[in-house]
Amino acid sequence: MPLLELQAVQVPGRQRPRLDGVSLALAAGERVALLGPSGAGKSSLLAVANGLLRPAGGQVLWQGQPPARAAGLRRRQQARIGTLWQDLRLIESLTVQQNLNTGRLAAWGWPRALLNLVVSVERDACAAALRQVDLEPSLLPVPVASLSGGQRQRVALARLLRQQPTLLLADEPLASLDPRLAAGLLQLLLAQAAPPKALLLSLHRPDLLAGFDRVIGLRAGRICFDQPLAALDLAALEALYRAEL
Amino acid sequence: MTRPALPLLPLLPALVLLPLALQVPLLWHGGGLDLVGRFALAALTPSLDPLVLRSLLEGLGVTVAVALLGWITSLLLGLLLALFSARVVWQGLLGVAWPALLLRRLLALPRAVHELIWGLLLLQVLGLRPEVAILAITIPYAALVARVLGDQLDGLPREPLEALRTAGAPPLAALVSALGPPLVPALLSYGGYRLECALRSATLLGVFGLGGLGTELRLTMQSLEFRELWSGLWLLLLVMLLLESGLERLRRRWWVPRRLGLVQAPARESLRLEAPAALGGPASGRELLLLVLGLVPLAVALAGGLGLEPASLLRWRGLPPLQTPDGAALLALPWLSLVAGTVGLTLMAASLAVGTAPLLLLAASPGRWPRLLLRAAWALGRLWPPPLIALLLLFVLKPGVITAALALGLHNLGILGRLLLEAVEAADGGAEEALVAAGVGPRLALFHGRGSEVAGPYLAYGAYRADVMLRETVVVGLVGAAGLGSQLLEALSAFAWDQVVAVVAALAGLTLLGEAISDHLRHRLRPSG
Repeated sequence: MPLLELQAVQVPGRQRPRLDGVSLALAAGERVALLGPSGAGKSSLLAVANGLLRPAGGQVLWQGQPPARAAGLRRRQQARIGTLWQDLRLIESLTVQQNLNTGRLAAWGWPRALLNLVVSVERDACAAALRQVDLEPSLLPVPVASLSGGQRQRVALARLLRQQPTLLLADEPLASLDPRLAAGLLQLLLAQAAPPKALLLSLHRPDLLAGFDRVIGLRAGRICFDQPLAALDLAALEALYRAEL
Repeated sequence: MTRPALPLLPLLPALVLLPLALQVPLLWHGGGLDLVGRFALAALTPSLDPLVLRSLLEGLGVTVAVALLGWITSLLLGLLLALFSARVVWQGLLGVAWPALLLRRLLALPRAVHELIWGLLLLQVLGLRPEVAILAITIPYAALVARVLGDQLDGLPREPLEALRTAGAPPLAALVSALGPPLVPALLSYGGYRLECALRSATLLGVFGLGGLGTELRLTMQSLEFRELWSGLWLLLLVMLLLESGLERLRRRWWVPRRLGLVQAPARESLRLEAPAALGGPASGRELLLLVLGLVPLAVALAGGLGLEPASLLRWRGLPPLQTPDGAALLALPWLSLVAGTVGLTLMAASLAVGTAPLLLLAASPGRWPRLLLRAAWALGRLWPPPLIALLLLFVLKPGVITAALALGLHNLGILGRLLLEAVEAADGGAEEALVAAGVGPRLALFHGRGSEVAGPYLAYGAYRADVMLRETVVVGLVGAAGLGSQLLEALSAFAWDQVVAVVAALAGLTLLGEAISDHLRHRLRPSG
């Protein structure tokens, strides 16, 4: 059973649909790059995948199940999907440790959530998550606002790890990084997506595809190609970025 | 144990609800519970008697006219005083700063005395005339406007001014072109806020007998004519909501910063917004000019309608015979408990207002309807002048500091709550969205996401509001045994002028101290960097 399945998903937009009949399936262990020029609908696709955007047509299945109607059940489904945002969406006024723990909020109730704002909660687990992204645990009590750009990226990734999702989504996580940092972060992400997990990562440039299993090309809300990396057709790749006449 | 994180801080003052909940049963006498019931029911069946409505409408007209005229004069006077109390202006013109500092010190006194006290004092000297209410609003408001705008002026970067000066521009022209445009957003934002305050103040002055709708409200309340009372309240609510939404629309149209933003970082905020704002554009510049020009005939018409005679302000009534001050009696006043009462009242009211607003917002959050309901409840809180809330509470509670604090706190909860909701809705929802996408419940997501973002500015505004509440303690003095405010009202009705002077001085001193503390808190809450 695929971890994520989109069936003929339709998302209307102002002038033309943002997603126009998109179907895809993602199995455990798959690492998929979502390629496309700006405005192709990559962010919309990821928003449909993590449940922020409800499609006007078609269906989303998480581990074979449609999104639950009951709010509690639905939140439990969403907690298994983790997103790495391009703008990170860390909480600036909190420390690294407090930010890492916000990855657990879906599982915690109010008491532990409030405790996290007053005392040190689950420090060991936070330290382990930091080590996984090659950061020192000494950063835990540091306010997020005082970190460097590269450190912030890694803290956001570590927060994602604290969430323990089975499906990792990433919206252009490499766009604002210099090449060395981008390659490092990509390695970390790919390493996290071993079975039973899976990774769907969007990119707007086709120069960092090494390590992925599969590449999906998106243009104007439609899927142009969906091929294993090994069999990637360069002509198709070129067509994806060709200016519209 | 570390310091609690920022998003948690706005909720901490709500802890005051626990001791309050324990105290209220002790104060309960419940004697007028049926009156409260009748009062609540009357909200649904306001009086529609044409005679009643006509007199209420006349009263409303007076209140609105007083508010507008007081606002216009205070803004003009305040702007002038702001120029003269800004260091940058004196340094630019004469090269010295000390006159600005001197004027600033002098303006502390009119600012520290609440408009109600000015009103009651002027009433003794000038008799009951609409000019008294207008002047009572103008004096403290002008001093407040001068302070805020003066700070703004001094907070603006000096580089553009220096550039013009070194290019050989004459001092006055350089000042106007370098500092004028960046000041406009602050002037509009703060000026709009002051108009809302002026409507509240004009109503409040009426409650204490200075005419207008407030007087009608007080009379109908005391004669238990609740249906007539509600007719007046609904009318006032209509005017208040029209005013607030009109100002909000103008703010949006002109890209004027919201108050919470303005309080957070005055100079930077106005600068950041100045560039993209349509303000620089000719269209809105023209609109602004039209608005200002339109105010002149409006002011003249209002003054004519009220039958104002500015010259009458010079005709002083003979003061009642002044006794020689009785020093021993003054010293015999229970100063310690009076001051403690006032401080306790302020702290309780401020904690109640600051802490309860976010709590209620969180409770009401996921749905649209609960939020609308909350918005309506807050509007009613702002609408009610605190002394009327106090009178209503006295139907069921014994007089005292806690009853006064409840009245003051509930009124200010309406003001703070609205600002908080506006700020939360304007905040960037990215972090909240991320949490929702990860399966976090809507309240926890709101609290961690937008909550973290607005916590700092909200607390800074809360510190400012606490300062305002300290000044306002006098308006709930009429519940009795509530600190210096009660003592002042007693002294005024007994014509004990030596006491009046001493208590006003004590209140002013306390207010200035409170202002200093609140300024300090606000600077600490301002995000660094």
